[in-house]
Amino acid sequence: MKKYITFLPLTIVLISIQCSSEIEDTDNLVIDETITTEIVSDNNSTDNNDNNNSNSSSLDNETSSFDHKEMLTNWVDNIIIPSISIFDNSLEIFKESATTFVNAPTTETLSNLKEAWLSSFLKWQHVEMFDIGLSEEIYYKNRINLYPTNVERIENNISTLNYDLDEPVNFSAQGLNSIDYLLFGIGENENEIISKFSNENLNYGKYLTDLVDKMVSLTYEIKSSWSDEYKLSFVSSTDNTASSSINKVVNDFIYYFEKGYRANKIGIPAGVFSDKPLPDRVEAYYGKNYSKILALEATDAVNYFFNGNYSNDKESKGLSIKDYLDYLEADKEEKLSEKINSQLEKIKTKVSELNTNFSEQVNQENLKMLTAYDVIQANVVFLKVDMLQVLNISVDYVDADGD
Amino acid sequence: MRKTVVDYINNKKTHSSTLAFFRVTFGALMFLSVIRFWSKGWINTLYIEPKFHFKYFGFSWVQDFGIYTYSIFIICLISSLFVTIGYKYRISIICFFLAFTYVELIDKTTYLNHYYLTSCLSFIMCFLPAGNYFSIDNLISGQKHEYIPVWTVDTIKFFICIVYFYAGIAKINSDWLIEAQPLSIWLKSKYDLPIIGETLLQQKSIHYLASWFGMLYDVFIPFFLIYSRTRYVAFFFVIVFHALTKVFFPAIGMFPYIMIFSAVIFFDSKLHIFLLEKIKMVLNNTLTFFKIKISNTLKTVNKPIIIKKIIPFILMTFLFIQVLFPFRYFLYPGELFWNEQGYRFSWRVMLIEKRGETTFKVKDSITNNFFYVKNDDFLTPFQIKQMSFQPDFILEYAHYLGEHFKKQGHKNIQIFADSFVALNGRPSQRFIDPNVNLLSKKESFYNKNWILPLNDVIKGL
Repeated sequence: MKKYITFLPLTIVLISIQCSSEIEDTDNLVIDETITTEIVSDNNSTDNNDNNNSNSSSLDNETSSFDHKEMLTNWVDNIIIPSISIFDNSLEIFKESATTFVNAPTTETLSNLKEAWLSSFLKWQHVEMFDIGLSEEIYYKNRINLYPTNVERIENNISTLNYDLDEPVNFSAQGLNSIDYLLFGIGENENEIISKFSNENLNYGKYLTDLVDKMVSLTYEIKSSWSDEYKLSFVSSTDNTASSSINKVVNDFIYYFEKGYRANKIGIPAGVFSDKPLPDRVEAYYGKNYSKILALEATDAVNYFFNGNYSNDKESKGLSIKDYLDYLEADKEEKLSEKINSQLEKIKTKVSELNTNFSEQVNQENLKMLTAYDVIQANVVFLKVDMLQVLNISVDYVDADGD
Repeated sequence: MRKTVVDYINNKKTHSSTLAFFRVTFGALMFLSVIRFWSKGWINTLYIEPKFHFKYFGFSWVQDFGIYTYSIFIICLISSLFVTIGYKYRISIICFFLAFTYVELIDKTTYLNHYYLTSCLSFIMCFLPAGNYFSIDNLISGQKHEYIPVWTVDTIKFFICIVYFYAGIAKINSDWLIEAQPLSIWLKSKYDLPIIGETLLQQKSIHYLASWFGMLYDVFIPFFLIYSRTRYVAFFFVIVFHALTKVFFPAIGMFPYIMIFSAVIFFDSKLHIFLLEKIKMVLNNTLTFFKIKISNTLKTVNKPIIIKKIIPFILMTFLFIQVLFPFRYFLYPGELFWNEQGYRFSWRVMLIEKRGETTFKVKDSITNNFFYVKNDDFLTPFQIKQMSFQPDFILEYAHYLGEHFKKQGHKNIQIFADSFVALNGRPSQRFIDPNVNLLSKKESFYNKNWILPLNDVIKGL
C-alpha cells in the first residue's frame, strides 16, 4: 500500500497548480522577480532599438525569446505618454485661444481658435486608441470624441446654465465635437456665430470655456495617472492573461480600429449598419472640411502604433506588435506584418481619394465610402483573426472554459 | 462464444468497492465543478444573460428558465452530493444526469468535451449498482453488497478507453504531427510561465515533442492502464500528463481531475477498499469529534446484486454507438477541422486553433438595399467568438436575424455571411460562400455545400 502514498505529493502539486491558475487573473503585481531578471535583457535590447528596421537581428535566433517588457516600455515611454503630453500641450494653446476669443470675439480670434481646435483634434487621434487604466474608468474617449454631438442638449445646457459635465447624459454635449458645433454650427455664417458669442447673455462663451476647461482637466488627470508606480506595474504585467497589459492594449488597439476608426469614421456615415446612409454622423460634422484629414491622421496613428514609431519622433522606432509578429513568424515566408502594413497603405490611398468632407462624399457618391470601408474591413480580419491567432491572445474578455 | 459472454455477464464478479470509489470521486468532483461554475458567475453570463441561445439540432425545445435556471444547478448540486454519499443513489444519479444534460442542451456555445464526458459517465452510472456499498443507502437498509458483476466496472473502463484512444487517433494528422500545430502557437504564447516559458516553450523541437508525446500518450495509455504490470507507471503518466495540460492550458477547467480520478478505476479493488477505509477513518474521526456515533453493523450480502437482464444490453448498445459515432465525419466531404461536420461528440480535444470574423449582410432582394449587423447587439462576446467559425452557428444565427428583422418590418430579406476564418496558423480565408442567401438553407444532417473548401489539405484521421 505504500506505493499509493507516492501519489500523494503529486496530487498536492496538482491542487496547488489549480489554485495558482485560478488566481492568476486577479493579481497583476506578482512579477517582481521578473523585473530584476529582465534588467539585463533591457540593456541588450535598447541597443538594437535604433537599428530596428524590419527584423531585429537578435530575434532571428529561435532560442532567444521576445522581450515583452521592452515592447511595453516602448509603448508607454515612446508612444502612449508622449501622445497624451502632445495632446495636453495642444489643449493649453487651445485654451489660450478660447480665452482670447471669448474675451474678444472677432473673425481673427475665431480663426485662431478654429486652428487650435483642429490641431488638438488631430493630436487626439493618437490618444483615442489607448483606452486603458483611468482612461477606461472615466470614459475619457467618450468625453473627448463622442459623435454625433447632441445639439438639443447643448442648447438646453446653455440656456438653462444648469448642467454637470461629469454626468454621463452630458457626454454627448461636450468634447471636441460639441466645440465643433459651437464654432461652426450655431449660426448660418461666421458673423452670426461671432455675434452669438459677443452677446454675453447668451452664454455661448461660458459654455465653450467650460468645455475646454473640462477637456484640460480630464487630460491632466489622465496624464497624471501615468505615475512612475503605475508605469512600472504596467510594463511589468507581461504575461498572456486577460488582464495583462499586452492583451489589454492589443485588444484596445483592435477595438479602436474596428469601432473608433472603421465604424465611427467611415462605416456609420456610409450607412453600413443602417437602412440608409447617415451623412450627419461624420466626425467634426459642423466644421465640414475636417472629416477626411482627421481620418487620415488616425490612419497614421494606427500605422505608427503597429510599427512602434515614437510619437514625438516618427523616424525612431522601438519594439512593436510588428516585431512581435515577426518573431513569432520567424519561420514563415509570407509575413503577416507585411500584409497588415500593405493593407494600411491601401487604406490610406482609398481614404485620400475621398472628399475632404465625408458628408458630401456620402451624399454624392457613397460607393466610394463603401469601398473604403471594405478595404478597412479586410484589415479588421487580418488584425482580429490572423494576428490574434499568431499572438494567441483571446479577443476581448471571454471568461469560460475551453478545450 | 455465446457461452462465455453469458458466463461473463452472469457470473464474473468483482468487489463493490471499485464502483463505490468511482461513485464517491465522480460525485465529489461534480459537486465541486458545479460550485466552481457557479462561483465564476457563469450561470448568469452563459445561460441567463444571452438573449439568444444556439441550439443543438433537434433540441430547440430546451430553454433556459431565466433567473430560475439556478434551480437546475441546485438540482445538480444536491444530486451530486447525494451521489457522493450514496443517498437514494439511483434517483440521485438520474436527477444529476438529466439536470446536467439539460443545462448542456440549453446552449451549444458552451460545448466542451468534458461536459459531454460527464453526461456520458452519469448516463452509464444510472444503470450501475454503485450505491450498494459505502453509502448512506447501506446504513438505511442495514445491508451492503460485497460483490457486483465485473461488467459494471468494465463498462466504465471501456468507455474511458474510448475517450483516450479516440482523442489519440484524432491527433494522427499532418497538422498535429508534421507542423506541430496548434501546439506551436499555444506553447509559444505561454512565455509567461516561470523558467521554461521564455526558453523551452519557444523552441520548435519542444512543440514537436509535446505533439508526439500527446498523441502517443492518448493512443497507448488505455492499454497500459488495463495491463496490470504497466499500470503503476501508466498512472504516473496520467498524473504527469494531466498536470502538464493544466499548467499549459488552465482554461481546460476540471477535465484533468476528472480524467485522473477516473483512471483510478483501472486498479485492483484492493486499492479501492484501502482508499475507502481511509475515507471512512477520516469520517469516523470527524463524527467522533462531533460526538455522533453510527452503528456500523451492516449485514453483508455475498451474493452479487441482481441486475435486470436488459441493462447489459442497453449499455452494450451505448458503447457500440460510442465506438461508431466519432467516425460519422466520414459521411461528409471536405476537411473535418474546417467544416466541423461531425466534429463534436468525438473526443477531439485541444486539436484546433480556429478564429473567425463573421458579419452578416441583411439585404432587401427587391431594392438591393443592404446593411450589416452589429453582432454585439444580439450575442455575447463568447457567442460571437464561437459563432464566427462554426457553420451550424452561422446558419442558426442568420435565421435568428432573419426572424428579428422580419418582425421589425423589413421585407424580402436575404442574409449573406461575410466570413473569414483562420485554422491552425494558416492565413485567414473566406469561409462561407458570400453569394448564398443563408435564409434559403435549412439546418440538417446533410452536407453544408455553402461552406467554401479549405485551401489546403490536412492528411490523417
